Amino acid sequence: MLRLRRSMVVLLIICLGIMVLSACSSKKSNEPGSSEGAASESSASASQEENKGDGKKIEIKYWRHDFAPEVDAIKKLIKTFEEKNPNVTVKMEVIPYGDYETKIRTALAAGSPPDIIGLDGPTLAAYAHQDAVIPLDKYMDMDGNKEDIAAPVLESLTYKGKIYAAPLNDASIGMFYNKKLFEKNGIELPSKDPQQAWTWDQVLKAAQKINDPANKIYGIDPGWGLGEGEGSTFVKLPFIWQAGGEILSPDGTQVKGFLDSPESKKGLAFFSSLYNEYKVAAKELPPEAFETGKLGIIVNGPWAISGFATSHPEFKLGEDWDIAPLWKDAKQVTPNGSWNMAITKGSKHPDEAWMFVNWVTGVEGAKVWYQETKNLPARLSTASAFPELSEYPMNIFVEQSSKFAHPRPVTPAYPVVTSSISKLFADIGVANRDIDEAVDEAVNTIDRALQKIK
Amino acid sequence: MKFPVSFSRQEERAAYLFILPAVISLALFTFYPMINAFIISFKEYSLINPDSTFIGLTNYKDLLADPKFISSLVHSFHFALVVIPVQTIIALVMALLVYKSSLVSGLFRTAYFMPVVIAMGVASTLFKLIYNKDFGLLNSLLHSVGLPQVAFLSDTKLAMYGIMLLAMWKSAGFFMIVFVAGLNSIPSDLYEAAEVDGATRLQKFFKITLPLLKRTMTFIIIITTMDAIKISGPVFILTAGGPADSTTTSVYFIYKMAFQQMEMGYGSAAAFILFVIVMFISIIQLRLLKSDVEY
Repeated sequence: MLRLRRSMVVLLIICLGIMVLSACSSKKSNEPGSSEGAASESSASASQEENKGDGKKIEIKYWRHDFAPEVDAIKKLIKTFEEKNPNVTVKMEVIPYGDYETKIRTALAAGSPPDIIGLDGPTLAAYAHQDAVIPLDKYMDMDGNKEDIAAPVLESLTYKGKIYAAPLNDASIGMFYNKKLFEKNGIELPSKDPQQAWTWDQVLKAAQKINDPANKIYGIDPGWGLGEGEGSTFVKLPFIWQAGGEILSPDGTQVKGFLDSPESKKGLAFFSSLYNEYKVAAKELPPEAFETGKLGIIVNGPWAISGFATSHPEFKLGEDWDIAPLWKDAKQVTPNGSWNMAITKGSKHPDEAWMFVNWVTGVEGAKVWYQETKNLPARLSTASAFPELSEYPMNIFVEQSSKFAHPRPVTPAYPVVTSSISKLFADIGVANRDIDEAVDEAVNTIDRALQKIK
Repeated sequence: MKFPVSFSRQEERAAYLFILPAVISLALFTFYPMINAFIISFKEYSLINPDSTFIGLTNYKDLLADPKFISSLVHSFHFALVVIPVQTIIALVMALLVYKSSLVSGLFRTAYFMPVVIAMGVASTLFKLIYNKDFGLLNSLLHSVGLPQVAFLSDTKLAMYGIMLLAMWKSAGFFMIVFVAGLNSIPSDLYEAAEVDGATRLQKFFKITLPLLKRTMTFIIIITTMDAIKISGPVFILTAGGPADSTTTSVYFIYKMAFQQMEMGYGSAAAFILFVIVMFISIIQLRLLKSDVEY
């Protein structure tokens, strides 16, 4: 009796143990699915011909992450597109930002991806390297007006000489500051001229004057806190570039001698000093600290202008806060690159998919996109079509992205790069680790990932 | 005697039919993915590319030399070593307070059980607000009684304890109910006999209650151990593994490898190492806690 019971308990334990794994493995059973995907691919061109022939409706699936103003803009563009192309319908699926990459990746792994996916700039090389998305060069040459796309943007979308995505918009960041806190502490306001960016030293001095932790007022949040995520890496990388450092070699194959160069370390040391030596940056901030007047200086992008206007209408641009160009050190550098549209290899209708991609990201679509979302345009024709883009505050972002933009490294190992970089900044910021030691660890992790690609 | 044979055969057939659905669902949703994951763990397998290559034990070798994996295991065990005794004691104390049924005890049982019902996502989001250094409820309370601030979300040395507190708050109520069931199954004549012999309350607890709770205790400790080592839910929402990876537990590490860095093979290998560790611990615990008290 006792033995039997014991063996039952052992069985129970094994089953529960299995549950540890099944949580992770439930999405992995994809081998039959993927062979199916390959089969449907080979017949793709055939079915496409058929569809054109008998005038059947073609459905294009498009997945993107959730962000209300952009989703609304896409809905409008889908409507006009379907009016113009009655034989094609576009089905958009909107996925919460946090789940987006995982959902796309599992769909690709299962061999049932949508035709078009929203692609964040730096993940492009990983998708291209794994043949998950198709090169768009032939379409770009046909009717994509690629000479109209800003050169640094195009560069960030090119992997091994081929263009893999069409840009929805570009992105840049500036120094957002609380005007009232500056005036209260008698600090001279920074210039709005992109050529007159503040130096690190000026930023530090201002932050020191504002910082008043006893009254819960903090000087600066230099890079969106110390958490993980691509947004966080995007705003932190400039510290390394501004000091004259680099993450990877220009061809994206080497990390040793770049991330661990004295210049890179200088940028990291400055970032760390804000938290640990001068203590002008807080390791933890209340939510919406800047909008509620508890934070002197932050970095943010043009998307935040309308964001603050809706969430905190009492916090007014020009009265309570203003935008200055992003600070500089040895060099003036700003990050660039944003979300794009790419066509998956599994798509059965790549030609129709391109028609829609070009409808949204082409010369005319980009103008609608700008009007609806106020995102920094990736096309030169859009930039010149709207006078407000050459006025404050948008002129700061436009000028920065054409003169000082630096694309993030293009490498299939980027997922490892971004997580190592955010870990590195957290190590030296919040954990106050020795910089050499933390850099060595990041370099080793990235190096191992780069070796795997070759 | 023909009848019993055919009858038992019929019975057998019926029995197989009854277990068939369970076997199929286990095979399909547990064993197939598990075997598949085991195979993947020997491969260089990118999440978004179905083509993969066998690389033998390389994933396992790399993992054992990966400081991030080792530290994620350390974090999981740190969590388990604190949570298992503390949570079990809290659950037992709560159970002792409420196990005798009365009007008030029903109220407290419900109150103590409440956190179990709340979804982990909701609880984690709430705790994120409560833990906020400047404006959180916790620090306001500490401040009002003159105690120093605690930065559960941004201090690398404290963040793990923040997760532990949430996890224990969340699940102690469940184990309390299990203990209540255990306590109520102890025959009351044992206590009566002890009273006749003049035993004190403490003696009754240590000589009767604890030994007779051993089987319940075994169950609770094993389940808590497994839950603790695979902790990941609150980590996702409360700290996302931060600050500076100080709360990255093994399961969170596996998720990051497999889905963020798209290295499915590496992540699967890590999952199997964790599986083997959990299984060994459970078997050892079972041996040590073998109950020899019968009543």
